[in-house]
Order: sequence, then C-alpha cells, then structure tokens
Amino acid sequence: MRKHGSHWSQGDREGYQRSNYYEGPHTSHSSRGGRTREEVVTPPLPEHAATGSQMATSLDFKTYVDQACRAAEEFVNIYYETMDKRRRALTRLYLDQATLIWNGNVVSGLDALNNFFDTLPSSEFQVNMLDCQPVHEQATQSQTTVLIVTSGTVKFDGNKQHFFNQNFLLTAQSTPNNTVWKIASDCFRFQDWSSS
Amino acid sequence: MSLPSGHNMGHTDQVVQRRARCWDIYQRRFSSRSEPVNPGMHSSSHQQQDGDAAMHGAHMDSPVRYTPYAISPYNRKGSFRKQDQTHVNMEREQKPPERRMEGNMPDGTLGSWFKITVPFGIKYNEKWLLNLIQNECSVPFVPVEFHYENMHASFFVENASIACALKNVSGKIWDENNEKISIFVNPAGIPHFVQRELKSEKVEQIKLAVNQPCDVSQEALDIQRLPFYPDMMNHDTTMASNPRKCMAASLHVHEENIPTVMSAGEMDKWKGIEPGEKCADRSPVCTTLSDNSSNINSILELFPKLLCLDGQQSPRATLCGTEAHKRLPTCKGGFFGSEMLKNLVLQFLQQYYLIYDSGDRQGLLSAYHDEACFSMSIPFNPEDSAPSSLCKYFKDSRNIKITKDPYLRGELLKHTKRDIVDSLSALPKTQHDLSSFLVDMWCQTEWMLCFSVNGMFKEVEGQSQGSVLAFTRTFIATPGSSSSLCIVNDKLFVWDTGHQGTQSALFTPVPTAFSSSVPAFSQEQQKTLPS
Repeated sequence: MRKHGSHWSQGDREGYQRSNYYEGPHTSHSSRGGRTREEVVTPPLPEHAATGSQMATSLDFKTYVDQACRAAEEFVNIYYETMDKRRRALTRLYLDQATLIWNGNVVSGLDALNNFFDTLPSSEFQVNMLDCQPVHEQATQSQTTVLIVTSGTVKFDGNKQHFFNQNFLLTAQSTPNNTVWKIASDCFRFQDWSSS
Repeated sequence: MSLPSGHNMGHTDQVVQRRARCWDIYQRRFSSRSEPVNPGMHSSSHQQQDGDAAMHGAHMDSPVRYTPYAISPYNRKGSFRKQDQTHVNMEREQKPPERRMEGNMPDGTLGSWFKITVPFGIKYNEKWLLNLIQNECSVPFVPVEFHYENMHASFFVENASIACALKNVSGKIWDENNEKISIFVNPAGIPHFVQRELKSEKVEQIKLAVNQPCDVSQEALDIQRLPFYPDMMNHDTTMASNPRKCMAASLHVHEENIPTVMSAGEMDKWKGIEPGEKCADRSPVCTTLSDNSSNINSILELFPKLLCLDGQQSPRATLCGTEAHKRLPTCKGGFFGSEMLKNLVLQFLQQYYLIYDSGDRQGLLSAYHDEACFSMSIPFNPEDSAPSSLCKYFKDSRNIKITKDPYLRGELLKHTKRDIVDSLSALPKTQHDLSSFLVDMWCQTEWMLCFSVNGMFKEVEGQSQGSVLAFTRTFIATPGSSSSLCIVNDKLFVWDTGHQGTQSALFTPVPTAFSSSVPAFSQEQQKTLPS
C-alpha cells in the first residue's frame, strides 16, 4: 500500500500506530497490542478551497478522491474485522446520532446500535468489492464526507451464507494532526433479502 | 427533474431566484413532520395491526417483550442534525381501534373475525402447521393472512364456530419433539386486507396485486385489472399462462410479512401535498406529473412492492422466556423517512428511469449537479469466473480492492455531469422493472437525501438481450429546481442473480415477467476480469 511518509510519525495519538500495520486487504490487527480504541484515522485533510468557491477545481477533486480512497480502505478493514472479532467495540466507529438501516430495520442512535449489534449473531464477513466517492460539499455543507460501498458475503452464526451490499456515509472530524472518520449512516442489505 | 428548455442551469438571475424559492419549498418538504411517538405504542401497535387493540397484552402468556428495534423517541435523531424522524404509518397506528370494527364485507354482511395464534409457532413451517391443525380440527377452515409475529404464528378465520373448533384443537396436537402445541383464539378487528376491499377500486386493484399468499392454487387472477407496469405486459408470453404465479413472485410477497396496504384514507392524505413550484421551463415529462392526486395513485401503482412491504413491522428477534440464541432480524421492505419524502423519491425515480430506459440518456443531464460523481461496479468473486452477462460492465467497474493504480482509480470515477451522462450513455440499453424496486432512504438532512434503490432490469439490445440483472443504485441528492432532486453522487452496482457460484442453490432467483436467456460464455470471456 502507499506509504504515507512523515505524516505517520507525527503525533502521539493511538490511532497512528495502526496505519503502520496496514498492508493489504486481509491485514491482521492483532499486532496492535495494547491499543484499545477503534478508530479510522488518516492524515490531516488538505486545506479547503477558498470559502467563496463551491466548485472544486480538478486538482482539489483529485485530492478528495485520493483521500476518499484512503479513508475507505482503512475503514473497511477495521470495520469488518471489528464486526467479526470485537463486536462490542463496533459502535465506537459510529457517530452518536448515527443511523443504521439493516435489511429494512431502522436502528438509530448509539444505544439502539449497541443493542442491535449485541443481538446480532456472530459474523464472518468477506468483502469482495469496495468503492468510494467523495460526497459533494453542497450535500454536506462542507463537512467532509465519503460514500463507501461494499459487497461480498457474510455468514451469521446459525444462518446460511448471504451475499450482501452495504453503504456507508463516513464523515471526517478533523484536527490539525489527523482526521478521524466516523459512520454517520449505514445501510445494509442481503442481496437475497426477500428469500431469507 | 425538469428539463429547462434551452436553459443553461448556470448563473442567471432567474436561476438564483428559483433556487431561493425552491429552497423554501424544500425546507418545508424536508423538515421533519415529527409525530409524537409513544414508545409503548410503537411496539404494541404491531399487535394492534390486526385491530386487536382490545386484546392487547391480555391473553397471551408471553413474557415481557424485549424489543431492541423499537425506536424510542429519545434515540430517534437525524443523521447530521438532531431531528425527529417520522415514521410511516404512525397515524394509522394511532387510530382508535373501535373504528376498525365497523365496515361491511363485500356481500354486505358484517364479518366476525378471529385471530388464531400458535405461541412459539415460529418454529413451525406454515404448511406443516396448518395441515396438523386441520387434521385435528372438526371443521375445515381457511386461514387468512398467515404470518409470523415475534415468536408466534398467527392467522385469521372469519367465523365464530370455526374459531371455537380451532380452540378445541389446542393441546391435542404435538410437534416433532413431542411438545404440545397450544392454540389461542381472540376476537379480532377486521384485518387490513378486508378493510381495503371496502374502499376504492384503485386500492382494490393494488391489494389484489400485492396481497397474494404464496399459495398460487386459488382462483385465477384477472390480470387485466392489475395496475402493472405497462411495458412488462408485452415481454413475456409465459406470464399469460400463469400470471398469478409470476405476479406473486415478482412482487416479492414475503409470506412472513403482514402486507400493509395503504388505506384510501392515507392515500387521500397524500393528495394534500403541495404540488411544488410551477416553473415555466418544466419539461413535458414534469408537466404531466404535476397533478398530484392522480399522480400519486399512479405512482403507487408502479411500485406495488413498496405498498406491500413498507412500514415498520414487528421484529422477529424478540427474546422470549429462556430462549437465548440469537436470531437475525426479519428482513423487511424499503424504508422511507416520511410519506412526503417517499413521494418525492418515487417521482424522481419514475422520471429518472423513464429517461434512462428511453434509449437516449442525454436527457439526464439536468438531473445531475455540474460537479457530480458517478462510478459503477460489478461483483468480484474470487472463486468464480464472472458471467458473460456482466461482460459489458467490466471495463467500467471500479473496485478499489482490486484496482490499486491511482490513475485508473481516477479514470473510473466519472466527474462532471457531462462525463457522467456520456458514460451512462455507453452502458447497455435497459428496461427497468419499477415493480421490483425497493428503496431504502438511509440518510436525510436539511441539505441532502441519500437513498439506495434495489431492483431488477433487463438488457434490451445487443448480445445479452433479454438478460435480467439485479442492481443497487445509491443516490445522494440535494434539492433541485422545481421540487426535484439534483444528484451529486451516483453509485451503481450490478450483479447477476443467477450466477452467484455455490450460493445459487440457496438463493432463489427472482422470477420476473422478463424472459431470461443468458448465453453460455466462451473461454475467452472467462479470462476477462476487471484489472
């Protein structure tokens, strides 16, 4: 994977350590050792275009695309590994007021999300497809957001395997040192939901 | 979306004014109409959906309900802002149950309905259970609206003496583990499906379309009466021979869901929605859809699935007694934040796919923001060769798990409306099946709407003509001109339901009215995979 250079050696935040181990689609995170928090972290965001401009120049757009890809790759690894192996920590990846629509079931807010993930059987996810797009700032009022779309298979304990599609809106919370991404909205469906 | 005649959606004063007016309208539309929700009401109302309010909580020997999916008002917040979410059908659930006891059967008599419940009946297969009961029951009975509710199985019968006979069966039947099966009998209000029969003909048509039990052996369906997507009628001769079977299957009637068809009263409520601004530069397409009252009915007719499966229903994953193993929540139909948004989105989709399927996708230019993004993907299954039905989509498929090259990643993400529409125009010509659409509205804020459409489409020309494919398309949209939506992000995912490798035996392909003929793929094509 691409190296992030000197950005990664900066700062004392826990989140940075993870990126050193990020190598590919099936990264094992067990080497993180004592780190306790689930976070999706990428380098700080580039300076936004001048405030008067709503239209990103092509240079800015390329930057947003790259940043979106970075966030997406980092996120997807952490999310599904956490879902499979550290289910109780999963809601740390969500904003307090995040919403999940799971096969048409609406789950809103952290409390409900905690309950929901607690009642869901244990899972084994395999992600085969990942795509992402930067969300236009007109839709988000300049709160940097990435649309992430995944697809693959999942086996929930006690149930047959399903193909699934999932969509996330990931939103950035920026600090001078880094960017922390959290899920604002999540939409999950089995591809064969009607026969399940 | 409106097609401004000779208008550049750029920087004229007119556009600015229009946007300001539309913003007001949009604000009114998108601001939530929160209705007070009694958390107790939300979960218990599902027991009341059969009008059983008087019996609520009384007869069942069920322990305290654990409803992880009930949304308390304190947790219902918007995605980016604190807003109350509205719930579809909440008004209906707040109606006093007594009203539901009124009404006449089609033949003019007052039916008396009873709800028959088998506790923990969720363990049992429907046919097996009904046969077992019928074998022991002294009179023949016709179970109506069989469904699973929480851990129990229920159905209705329309006769007091039959209900009595069924009650006598309780404790006299055993399951395969030699456990006694009990039967509870309660008077019920007139079930929804019966109520709908009493209303307008249009509603009756829709009911016929969506409310078929999966048992197709009942009386023949009069297909002429069905408000079906007109084009589909021409495409499949097999449909004429067994229309009911095709209909039930293509409408995804899930036997475990209670069909919740909208009452005429709710449909009347939609007529009150403001028609939106009348902009002078509306396209002919928009103009014909500006009459809301008939428009809404005709839109509903195009999306029968949404009527069937919309709304909140009792989740199955309720812990009862000592049963502790985890179950997956019931899969449900699409979710909309509110009826108003549903209308907006359905209108948008109807217009969008009308143009998308028309053969000339240039008309979609006005649907997109100048700086919109689009990308598409097909599945990547490491074990399988990709089927030829998707070969036309290989070159545009963007999968950043596979594609690491930043240049290629950039190329495959289309940016600006012009590039997007050019790219869409190069995709195969299609015919989308609106009746198969299922929509999840999964994020709404003051500035944007984010929803995913799941459905089926057919390719209508070229080598794969006749191929039926499935898709999920995610749109992020902001308010556009004249109460329309303006797409800023568009993500299309296409897959072939018939080629999901080892899972195909478990997954039931969705039959549609389209004939499906996927050509066998050659060795050469098998080697072609996304880079």
